[in-house]
Amino acid sequence: MLNRKVIYPTFVSTLATTLFFVAGCQRNDNSQSGTPGKPRVALVMKSLANEFFLTMESGARAHQKAHAAEYELLVNGIKDELDVSRQIDLVEQMIAQKVNAIVIAPADSKALVPVCKKAQQAGIVVVNIDNKFDDAVLGDSGLKLPFVGPDNRKGARAVGDLLAKKLKTGDQVAIVEGAPNAFNGLQRKAGFEDAMKAAGMNIVGSQSGYWETDKANPVVAAMLTEHPGLKALLCANDNMALGAVAALRAAGKQEQVLVVGYDGIGAVRQLLKEGNVLATADQHADQLAVFGIEYALEMLKTKSAPADRNTPVDVVSTP
Amino acid sequence: MNRTANSSARPLLRSFPTEYLGLTLALSALVGVFSLITDHFFSVTTFRTIANQIPSAVLVATAMTYLLVIAEIDLSVGSVLGFCSAVLGVAMTQWHWPLPLAVIGTIAAGLLCGAFNGLVSVHWRLPSFIVTLGMLEMARGAAHAVTRSQTQYIGSSVEAIAGTSICGLSLPFLLAMVIVVAAQLVLTRTVFGRYLVAIGTNAEAVRLSGIDPRPIKLAVFLLTGLLVALAAIIDTSRFQSANPNAGTGFELQAIAAAVIGGTSLMGGRGSVVPTLFGVLITAVLNTGLAAVGARDETKRLITGLVIIAAVILDQYRHRLGAKWKNS
Repeated sequence: MLNRKVIYPTFVSTLATTLFFVAGCQRNDNSQSGTPGKPRVALVMKSLANEFFLTMESGARAHQKAHAAEYELLVNGIKDELDVSRQIDLVEQMIAQKVNAIVIAPADSKALVPVCKKAQQAGIVVVNIDNKFDDAVLGDSGLKLPFVGPDNRKGARAVGDLLAKKLKTGDQVAIVEGAPNAFNGLQRKAGFEDAMKAAGMNIVGSQSGYWETDKANPVVAAMLTEHPGLKALLCANDNMALGAVAALRAAGKQEQVLVVGYDGIGAVRQLLKEGNVLATADQHADQLAVFGIEYALEMLKTKSAPADRNTPVDVVSTP
Repeated sequence: MNRTANSSARPLLRSFPTEYLGLTLALSALVGVFSLITDHFFSVTTFRTIANQIPSAVLVATAMTYLLVIAEIDLSVGSVLGFCSAVLGVAMTQWHWPLPLAVIGTIAAGLLCGAFNGLVSVHWRLPSFIVTLGMLEMARGAAHAVTRSQTQYIGSSVEAIAGTSICGLSLPFLLAMVIVVAAQLVLTRTVFGRYLVAIGTNAEAVRLSGIDPRPIKLAVFLLTGLLVALAAIIDTSRFQSANPNAGTGFELQAIAAAVIGGTSLMGGRGSVVPTLFGVLITAVLNTGLAAVGARDETKRLITGLVIIAAVILDQYRHRLGAKWKNS
């Protein structure tokens, strides 16, 4: 079955080619660092397979192009949001590259703390974006890192408040959560709960849809059957809202159940127009990384002490 | 002896009670438990919902069963599903193709991936595990490249496929059932089916008896590409949108369904109708646990346990069946 004569040379030659290319890229990077005075900012991203982070990345690249004289940008990301060890490796590589600042969207709010401490000790300015580092772990390691990003809980609360206006006190609602280990997902859930409890709604279910359309759909379908009186679904992101809308369509309940999402992706704008989704939150993804980069540059210039900074979240609703 | 060889000797339906006893028991037990502990599980709505959800999983698991029977595997089905879905979405929203043309394009994309998997693993005699592992990455990359990582919202223009229903059953569900029956008959009643089992049992013996296994293997990979493309079309139509991350982890679901149905990972043994039971068991489990509102960690623990329990139950049925035959 397994033909060694074929596999071995193929493997070796592939490996050699890969190494050759990697070496080539590395040389390229080093030659760029020659320009003196211009700070080099490394943007370490989460999953580049996710529309939200991709928008963040292209926003950052556009900003760098417009301010090419002020700084250099190195963008790196991991394959999916769960690849924590790869992200730690990336930060270590950035330290070795002697960049001036690291702007990081950590894939894990705890596991990335030690390596960021290492970066700070190496004299690198570290700015935390998107997913806030765990305060307890930061305190434990005596580390102070500024967080620049949206308040997911506040944003979700605002979306929930808008939804509550369309409901009656005591109405049954359900939450479709993000991946259970994601901090921003938990924050959004908490924000939804804040809004629903304040308005006196009855939360009959809250389950994870793992951020994806096809994973959220069966969960929503089951909740619809189990809670026939359901009046609203609060989804922690827009892709899951798409799955929820599909479940409502299949159950013929689009008139009865309202849906809200989060993120404001392009696909959901059309649903807002058609009235199938009531509202979503726009966190200005294209600006999120830019805010972090600008803050890092400011810190490099002024050597100021780090403080957190909140970025705007806007509720977008049916026009 | 293997079970497909046995079952082929008897008519399809008369063998039903003994052949599918264990699986029917497991399925009924699950339905029973969930009906007792929730208020609305045992209802027409639940079963119609499940019937609408499973067609894509049934198609992919059917393809996986064929592959496992010939001792091959395809780890790329989830990614290829995402890629096909992306092609359909982009063809309709950005290239403004009419639905029939977009569907043809999607099927072509699936066949292309299947052909690549088949040709590379057959021609260079590489294990399909490795080739399709490569395709898993390539197809996902292609899905993101085509959509620029953005979920494509298609809207009601794609609804016709999943929205059409005959006698309360959706078109995809009926299609999936027709394909299951056809695939079962081909596997148990045709020369081609015999070849599949023979290749999975001993490919070298097949070759020495003057039959070239390569075109047959290639055909199964092509069939997989086709069925995955159909699954992608069905899901995209259901969600009216194409998400480049669609189908992540689908390969393991399909393998689990086939294995629950008694298909051997070593080749030579497998059957399509039991795989359908495998899909049903996982679907009932997912729906039931969501209806209960179980915590996420509980869901995973129970799902894993049920997969193992179903396989153990199936083992007992095998031994029982063997005993009856000997006595």
